[in-house]
Amino acid sequence: MIDVQNVVKVYRRGSNEVRALDGVSLTVPRGQFLSIMGSSGSGKSTMLNLLGALDVPTSGTISIDGQQVSQMPDDALSKFRRSRLGFIFQFFNLLPTLTAIENAILPELLGGKSREEMEPKAKALLESVGLKGRWNHRPDELSGGEMQRVAVARALLSEPALLLADEPTGNLDSKTGAEVLRLIREATRERNLTVVMVTHDPRAAEVGDRLVRLADGHIVGDDPVRVAA
Amino acid sequence: MLSLLRLVSLRHFLGSPLRTLITVAGVAIGVSTLVGITSINKSVMNAFRSTIDTVAGKADLTVAADTAGLPEALLETVRAVPGVAHASGGLTLVAPIDGAAGQNLYLMGVDLLDDGFFRTYEGVDTDVGKLADDLEFLNSTDRVLLTDRYAREHGLTKGSTFSLITPDGAKPFVVHGLLKETGPLKAFGGAVGVMFFGSLQEAFGRGRTLSRIDVAATDKKDLEALKQRLRVALGPTIEVDAPERRGQSVETMMRSFQLGLNLGSGVALLVGIFLVYNTVSIGVVQRRREIGTLRALGAERSTIRGLFALEAVVLGLIGSAIGIPVGLLVGRGAIAGVARSVSEIYVRVNVSDVQVGPTEVLLGVALGVLGSLFAAMRPAWVASSVMPVEALRRDVALGGGQVSVRSWPTYVGVGLLALAWPVTWLPAPVENLAFGGYFSIFLILMGTTLLSPLLLRALNRPFQKPAEWVFGFAGRLAADNFARSPLRTAVPVSALSIGVAMAITIGGFVGSFQASSQRWIDQAIPADLFVTSSAKLAGVQNQPMSGEFIEQIRSIEGVELVDPVRIMPWDALGLRIFVISNDSAIYMSRGTPLLLAGKLPDEARRSQGAVILSENLARRRNLTPGSTFTMNTPTGVHTFTVDAVIIDYTSDQGSVIIDRKVFDQVFQDTRVDSFHVYVKDRARDTESVRAAITARLGRRFNLYVLSNAELRDEARKLIANAFSVTTAMELVAVILALLGVINTLLAAVLDRTREIGLLRAVGADRAHIIKLFAAEAALIGVTGGVMGVAIGGVVGVIVTTVVGVQATGWDFPFLFPWQIALQMFVGASVCAILAGLYPARRASRLDVVEALAWE
Ligand SMILES: Nc1ncnc2c1ncn2[C@@H]1O[C@H](COP(=O)(O)OP(=O)(O)O)[C@@H](O)[C@H]1O
Ligand SMILES: [Mg+2]
Repeated sequence: MIDVQNVVKVYRRGSNEVRALDGVSLTVPRGQFLSIMGSSGSGKSTMLNLLGALDVPTSGTISIDGQQVSQMPDDALSKFRRSRLGFIFQFFNLLPTLTAIENAILPELLGGKSREEMEPKAKALLESVGLKGRWNHRPDELSGGEMQRVAVARALLSEPALLLADEPTGNLDSKTGAEVLRLIREATRERNLTVVMVTHDPRAAEVGDRLVRLADGHIVGDDPVRVAA
Repeated sequence: MLSLLRLVSLRHFLGSPLRTLITVAGVAIGVSTLVGITSINKSVMNAFRSTIDTVAGKADLTVAADTAGLPEALLETVRAVPGVAHASGGLTLVAPIDGAAGQNLYLMGVDLLDDGFFRTYEGVDTDVGKLADDLEFLNSTDRVLLTDRYAREHGLTKGSTFSLITPDGAKPFVVHGLLKETGPLKAFGGAVGVMFFGSLQEAFGRGRTLSRIDVAATDKKDLEALKQRLRVALGPTIEVDAPERRGQSVETMMRSFQLGLNLGSGVALLVGIFLVYNTVSIGVVQRRREIGTLRALGAERSTIRGLFALEAVVLGLIGSAIGIPVGLLVGRGAIAGVARSVSEIYVRVNVSDVQVGPTEVLLGVALGVLGSLFAAMRPAWVASSVMPVEALRRDVALGGGQVSVRSWPTYVGVGLLALAWPVTWLPAPVENLAFGGYFSIFLILMGTTLLSPLLLRALNRPFQKPAEWVFGFAGRLAADNFARSPLRTAVPVSALSIGVAMAITIGGFVGSFQASSQRWIDQAIPADLFVTSSAKLAGVQNQPMSGEFIEQIRSIEGVELVDPVRIMPWDALGLRIFVISNDSAIYMSRGTPLLLAGKLPDEARRSQGAVILSENLARRRNLTPGSTFTMNTPTGVHTFTVDAVIIDYTSDQGSVIIDRKVFDQVFQDTRVDSFHVYVKDRARDTESVRAAITARLGRRFNLYVLSNAELRDEARKLIANAFSVTTAMELVAVILALLGVINTLLAAVLDRTREIGLLRAVGADRAHIIKLFAAEAALIGVTGGVMGVAIGGVVGVIVTTVVGVQATGWDFPFLFPWQIALQMFVGASVCAILAGLYPARRASRLDVVEALAWE
């Protein structure tokens, strides 16, 4: 599903060079829920951005769902993100001027689909993430947990191959965070979706099937998650 | 504070060079327009005053006769009046140059010995002092002194001959010597010749007449008494006044002309301030984080405010330093056109360069510095008022400032609009100055500016569907963004609307005026051919022709009627009006004078002194059918009765139409400015008659023969030319507005970087982002265009029916310029999109990862 080979990512700031990822290799089979942990600056976000086709590696190859994303032109990458990937960020997941349902179908609207076509599915999905009847609320009328639920619905709507989450619970209180995590876990398991989630929180990481630890751009640990007692 | 300025501000300026550049450019353009226009205004006025002054020289009083001439014998009468230290007579006239259509030589006939008392003439190769005894100069009728510049430019030297058109046809004249272009010669722009007045009278068939007698008083303190004594000695019909007094009626007249310039500079100024406000305030708002950091480091609010004020002053000074010289260059470029218009319509002025004084420079610096300071105040205040933590957050939309219906801008805006109509009733404080109208326009522009943020908010929903239809879903997002920071977006919208409105106003006014004047030519003067001498349109530039031509024209095959029309500038009723005389029988039977009030006088009434007034004169002096008024004429003070008021566009000051027979008796003048020729069959005879007139008279006397269509065309051009500078300013206003569009959208890109990142992450490609900003630019353009068309329509009505009426006395209906409106609307929208492309490209090139990063 995901195949990362010898990826190096170097950032240049003036004469400074930062090797954010330094020869990382990783394969993730379909349907696996992978958590990535590491201290701040260890390269987690960089990893996620590369997997999300938001950035290209300095060297090495990345293939997702059989596609070589490290070599695609920008427009093709955009289309790939729109149709094959789902994103959930820590905050700022929604456009403030759009309603919940519009935010949920944003990628499809950008892709040229009509509202009418997408609405039944979006409503069903929003209902399943617990937002029944709040379709026409705008982000400023929703709580943080509700906003993340809209983001989850959006990520699931296009039936992507891969869901990427960068600290999805970082901005939520622990109870709400746990609920959102459970939601992601269940929804992806039902759909046999591959998930890569970056987190700081060991308890969050335990939701996954497998835990990769990063430090200074290297993988320093790769273990299956013990099923909690 | 200065070290903070160096540390924080300088780094910021250099760090975002484009925004700094736009800010400085905004200040500079605003300042340069203001400086350019004020210096043009001042230079034209000064040139005009200096013409009066240098021509008057050291004269304390001038005895003037305008066009009809004073008997030369009066010179002795004047000299005999006690208290007259010195008196000198002069004759001036304008002679068309043979073989150079439309070019004239201004000829001064003086007695150099006498005149030297008042004015200084300096010879280049000739001793002016000796000319008084130079018999060749005094006795021949063809000896002319020219300025060295004129001679050089026309390839003439001492002894060469050239040809001028006189009432007896072209005659050769000899260059007797060259004079330096100083004193009175400079005032007329060098195209001046000096002759002995006796020779000039002879050469141009002026009999023994003078046009002016200059008087020096023994007792300079009691000029009023001397004036009285001269009046008694000369009789009531001859004007005696201090030279500068004679300038006043012309200055009043110029106020009409400045209508376009005033409107233009006011608008450019307003848009300039907008752009300064736009750029400076965006700069401040975007640095909220920086402000937060400074605050967190312990800077006090007053320090922050002071820093931004200082920064604004520095930017304002740099902008002014660039704007003032640029304004002078612009003024220099435009001055020739303005001077030409003034010379065509009013009086001959010689302006070769723009002048600036401390007033213009101060005005420019004041706009630049105070405008920037004012613009920075509010945002700096708001920014420094927030708590440091808030200012440090990056995910809050910065352009902010929501608008609400119930707030002071709404109330003030509505209030200003409500006052706009009543203030048009304010009377003019000085003749021809439409204060109420200008004030009303100002209120409308201010009122709509204050209300425009609300309008933007209200337009969000209506714009969503059409924008989505045109630009796809990015269009829908653009419609939302358009209404999201209404305070910021309203600035380019308002600026654009003002530029567009100005085009519609001026275009509508000019078009309406042209339509009315065309109707007037069609109906009131439907002659087939018009014969004039030195200017295509009879008026101030024209040199009258001998009345005897009429027989020669009448005898041409195909000619049915000829109306010998005299159009004479004359000081009467405190104005420089035109006295028009024509053959009433032809005028009233062939034309249909556009009667507004009263009844056209019949022959009996006409011989009793019944006249027709133009509407503007009637309005200016409150004359109605039945009123009487007096005019000084060469045969004494005469009383005239108004029988009818008609539409007439000959002069923006006013016209009196008098029967030719009565005029000839009263004004002792049989000359003709324009022969109105009616042919038997317009289709068949027009060209042959034109050819015959040209053959018999035209070549010899350098006459213009215009067809009716050509006359209408000339009239149309004259009107359009008077507003050509205004058109240039419309362009400046629109360019400023477009800079505002770029600036606002650049700020929006910065504000919404995070959103752009999100959009890109969920699959928006570069084209989507381009469309997002291009669509917002289009919405700015469309809104500015629509607002401009609406405001332009309203202001056009005010300019036409209030400002125009007060400045010219003409009242004609306002015709909405649909074509210009459509062009401006489309133009504004397209230009806005083009201006939006740069910010759009920048947005589409943003690095997605960096855009999404929080830190
Ligand atoms: N755009 C960038 N330019 C330069 N350096 C960067 C950039 N993004 C990340 N880095 C650097 O790369 C390293 C890894 O960053 P990141 O992947 O964001 O770590 P994490 O998400 O684990 O905190 C850090 O040292 C960071 O400073
Ligand atoms: Mg990170």
